[in-house]
Amino acid sequence: MKKLTYTLFVAFWASVLTIAGLHAMDKKDAEKANGDELPAYTWDEIEQHDSLDSCWKVIEGKVYDFTDYIPDHPTPPSVMEQWCGKESTEAMRTKGYGRDHSPAAWAMIDDYLVGTVAEE
Amino acid sequence: MRARTARLTVWLLALVPVLFVLMGFGLSDLASPAATLNTLGRLTGVAGLALLLLAAALSARVPGFDQSFGGLTRLWHTHHLLGAWSLILLLLHPVLLALSAAAHGTDTAFRTLFPPLSDIATWSGWLALILMMIFLAPSFHFFGRPDYERWKLVHRLSGPAVILALVHTFYFSRTMPGWTDVAVWTLFAGLAVGAVAWRFVFSRRIGRLTYRVSDVEHPANNIVELTLEPGKRTLQYQAGNFVYLAPFDRELADGYAEEHPYTLSSSPREPGLRIAIKDLGDASRAIQDIRVGSKVTVEGPYGRFFKSPDRIETPELWVAGGIGITPFLARMRHLKALEEPADAYLVFCVQDEARAIFLEELTELADALPDFHLHMHYFYQEGPVSLQYLESACPDFSEREIYICGPTPLNHLIQRHARAAGVPLARIHTEEFELL
Repeated sequence: MKKLTYTLFVAFWASVLTIAGLHAMDKKDAEKANGDELPAYTWDEIEQHDSLDSCWKVIEGKVYDFTDYIPDHPTPPSVMEQWCGKESTEAMRTKGYGRDHSPAAWAMIDDYLVGTVAEE
Repeated sequence: MRARTARLTVWLLALVPVLFVLMGFGLSDLASPAATLNTLGRLTGVAGLALLLLAAALSARVPGFDQSFGGLTRLWHTHHLLGAWSLILLLLHPVLLALSAAAHGTDTAFRTLFPPLSDIATWSGWLALILMMIFLAPSFHFFGRPDYERWKLVHRLSGPAVILALVHTFYFSRTMPGWTDVAVWTLFAGLAVGAVAWRFVFSRRIGRLTYRVSDVEHPANNIVELTLEPGKRTLQYQAGNFVYLAPFDRELADGYAEEHPYTLSSSPREPGLRIAIKDLGDASRAIQDIRVGSKVTVEGPYGRFFKSPDRIETPELWVAGGIGITPFLARMRHLKALEEPADAYLVFCVQDEARAIFLEELTELADALPDFHLHMHYFYQEGPVSLQYLESACPDFSEREIYICGPTPLNHLIQRHARAAGVPLARIHTEEFELL
């Protein structure tokens, strides 16, 4: 038991330092898609995608199509459905109880980015 | 069998939160390697916390509670294993979550482990884990063997660690579906906090009995036997039990008010308590010089060494090593006081004649008890106890209940001989000194 816990203890710090080391060397990752070349949608267009059949959301000025992701989200579909076609930054930042989504979730939404909100 | 049931119940209880979490899972939680790692990361967190809280709950040392686990040393063993598995799972927990996030790049993995400082949930988890590494490092000898008092002091960090781990979980919330999250964690937290409250608040007020040293004998130059007279309340105990003793003699060179576990060497029929203490560390060395009339506190009783302390129901073989004679001395004194027959063999193993403590009294007791046989084994003459030695000293030893108390190597050696002679495990009973 003593050997096993000690091995895990060493492996833990090795893994954490590896992740920190890779991060330090891999600064390119920080340049995220900023949506410059993506189409701009008006609120009228966005608001039409307000159901589970087609669910668009606006988070920090960017438009995401989460239709395919909803079945994979940890909560029942109704939780995400209520934000379809709406400004959803607050929902993303607070989950409704003051707790932000994880960095992994924030990274994951980039896969669903479809455009930006048109300035009116 | 009852002890096994008690231990099994604790481990099954640890699975309850895991089952609730699994109820909220779907197929999508295993859809990709990243999702699987994330699922495992969450499960290890939940299981690790459950084990940590149960380990805390078992640390209370409520007298009597240890009986169902087969004695306090067995209970400590379960506590130790729970702690070990908790640490193992909680070390895996953040690494698995970070590796799962690495599917979106090393930057995401890094930010999962090291989010902005405002992320109280993650940082309270980090702090809890670091505290766990600090307070468990001595328990698992990460940096060598600790001394008892330092180990005990460092182990107090478990309190803040448990609280921070709970903050971490309640902040993340929704580890389980709906109301079960708050209900399950509140129940587990209640057990843990209740145990700690008993240990540090109530046990000091109602658990500790005040005694006064009325006599001090020195059966050998490094052993003291204290006789204690009760204050208002008297300890109820059985032969072979042990207590936690704290001396309050200002003149002591070390160990003032520190509590240490010692076996009672008296018969429960005596008006006072007797405790034989060998000089094995700073506190037990200092207590050799404790003054008659000084105050001590006693908490207990603990342990469940003898199946039937008041009589010998089936023939027994006792093997004692050095100061490990104390529970047997207590039982002999007790059987004599009760005028019970004693179909037992005692093999008392010591280095040489100079270390044959209590020999005079043991010989007298052996003569006075009907059917009792005493065999002295001197290591410097005969080497380690062999199977042949046991067979010649006690020809029917494989038919007897076997009780062993002594240093770990002797303990293991006698167990091996007993197993080789076909004695089933259920008939071998041991009392261990070393709690770590």
